[in-house]
Amino acid sequence: MKTRFRLLPLFALAAGAASGQEVSVYGSTLAQLWKSETPGFDKATYAPATQFLGIDALNLGTERLSLHLFGWGMADLADQSRYNGANGSKTQGDLSFGYLQYRFPTANAELKAGRFSVNQAVGIEQVDGLSARADLRGGFTVSAFAGQPVLYKNPLQTGHEKNDYAFQRNWIAGARIGLRVPKVGEFGLSYLQDGQNAAKDLPRPSETDYTRRQVGLDLRISPVAAFDLSGRTVFDVAKHPETPAGETKPSNIAEHDYQVSVRPTDLFALTGTVTERNYRAFYAGTNLHSLFNQHEKGKFSAYGAGLVFGTAAKLQVTADFRHTKREIYGEANRFGVDAKWAVAGTKIVAGAGIHQVSAPDAAASPDPESLRYGTSHSEARLWAMWETGKLSFSGDGIYYKFKDSTNPNLYGKDAMFELVVSAGYQATPEFKVAGDLAYGANAFAKSETRGLLRLEYRFGGPAAKGGKK
Amino acid sequence: MSGKGSLLTLLLALVLGTFAACGLLSPQASFARTHPEGLSAGRPLCSECHSNETMKGGFKTFASFDHTPSFVGNHRSQAIQDSASCATCHAPAFCTDCHGGKVAMSPSVKLGDRPDRISPHRGSYLSLHRLEARMDPTGCYKCHGRANNDKCAACHRRPQ
Repeated sequence: MKTRFRLLPLFALAAGAASGQEVSVYGSTLAQLWKSETPGFDKATYAPATQFLGIDALNLGTERLSLHLFGWGMADLADQSRYNGANGSKTQGDLSFGYLQYRFPTANAELKAGRFSVNQAVGIEQVDGLSARADLRGGFTVSAFAGQPVLYKNPLQTGHEKNDYAFQRNWIAGARIGLRVPKVGEFGLSYLQDGQNAAKDLPRPSETDYTRRQVGLDLRISPVAAFDLSGRTVFDVAKHPETPAGETKPSNIAEHDYQVSVRPTDLFALTGTVTERNYRAFYAGTNLHSLFNQHEKGKFSAYGAGLVFGTAAKLQVTADFRHTKREIYGEANRFGVDAKWAVAGTKIVAGAGIHQVSAPDAAASPDPESLRYGTSHSEARLWAMWETGKLSFSGDGIYYKFKDSTNPNLYGKDAMFELVVSAGYQATPEFKVAGDLAYGANAFAKSETRGLLRLEYRFGGPAAKGGKK
Repeated sequence: MSGKGSLLTLLLALVLGTFAACGLLSPQASFARTHPEGLSAGRPLCSECHSNETMKGGFKTFASFDHTPSFVGNHRSQAIQDSASCATCHAPAFCTDCHGGKVAMSPSVKLGDRPDRISPHRGSYLSLHRLEARMDPTGCYKCHGRANNDKCAACHRRPQ
């Protein structure tokens, strides 16, 4: 984060201290003890301690100016670390956001400066910079942001790759213009540019491209409360090398993703989804090319449907179905039922679900000679929450049963499960202590036991009736 | 930020200033900073109180923001178009439970006492992701494609 952006929130907090600002501090401290037993390996113990901390300071000189900070830090207190990936460090942390916000009294206009997340264009981005949005007359809305992208380097980037990544992603900007049509809905057009330096311009030219140029179309059509159609199409408009003669040119449509919901009464609703993603365009700008392979042949497509009974009732039952197709691996179907029940007159909420995944044998790699194995499985889940006075309890169990235990990813297992129970005590409105205990078995671990102590607190802040969740 | 980025930033400020100066901004009052009435626990159904009313500006019904199972599962469009209305009830930190550029732990561990929330990666997802990603690798990309993937990189080192 650039120094100038890092200092902005601090200046604001200092300035606010001299005025009548309202400051709320909230956070949670999570201490875990995690024991894992894997055949062929020594028993492992992990003890990560994590601190989440947020600050919201309102009325910084004017009621329209506010400051928002949130971040976390983690340290593993045991000899081993489950979280350090490949960089060897036992401590890590992140400033998730830290920005000044100015809200105008009209037009939902706002300005942000600092580190913030944006979802106003075709992607969700974390940016150190500036953003603005406003509603205009005639139903138009505009929003834009610009700054330096927050870079997430991974252990695969070593030596000159790290510099290449930073060189190419030197700035990011995006904008969206929307049109809201009364009793119809909203239509949007957006553009995102992430980086301006081409890989070929590096002192040592690289074939790895981290940059993106995307155009997005989004819509939401909801003329009546009973009908809602939403979704977006994203185009990759970056220049790419010429497709070799004889090969099919990859699509420049990164994604179509649309959902429709029809809710004629509060008794039931019907939903449908359709998705298509083309790898080269959809994976543009990834910093993990080894996993998100832009050169994979074919595309991914899916469609699904759902039926919800009791959309506004204490008992909700949802039946869902989804068909997926990844051309080099084949088709799969997932279907099942979920139920959620809020018991009248109590603070008990419970749920249950059962799903089946039906998939043909899949190849371990695109190589036609590679090992084939089944991925079909069943999934069952049961959970409940109960509050009584200052005490709260919850339980959550999930179980998987696999049809083909010869699948090498299962290491001979044909079932996995995890059970989590939790108990909490709300000592005061501002302070809660809770403990979780989890036990399970999975493909990697013969047994896995996890204990977690959670302290949650919130001090100060405005006495908003609705509050924030 | 590069010179070009600074220039664009300045341009943005000028554009917004121009809108204001020209009176192009909507005269509608902005949404309240927080929801003016207390909300009960659980997922709200806005239409329970607002019925078929339209929101400020008259463009969408409150009912279209009812937190039904389909809304919760597909809230991206709403977030892109109506983040100001989301912010009336949700603090920014609420989104970071799942949508962090770099997260401390999987949402299902962080929210272990909230089984009612849709928390990705329940039930030893380290094992399960090898099956699910075979069927739909694009589902991983949304959270791990460009960020939050240092743990992925520990194993995924070879082009597939």
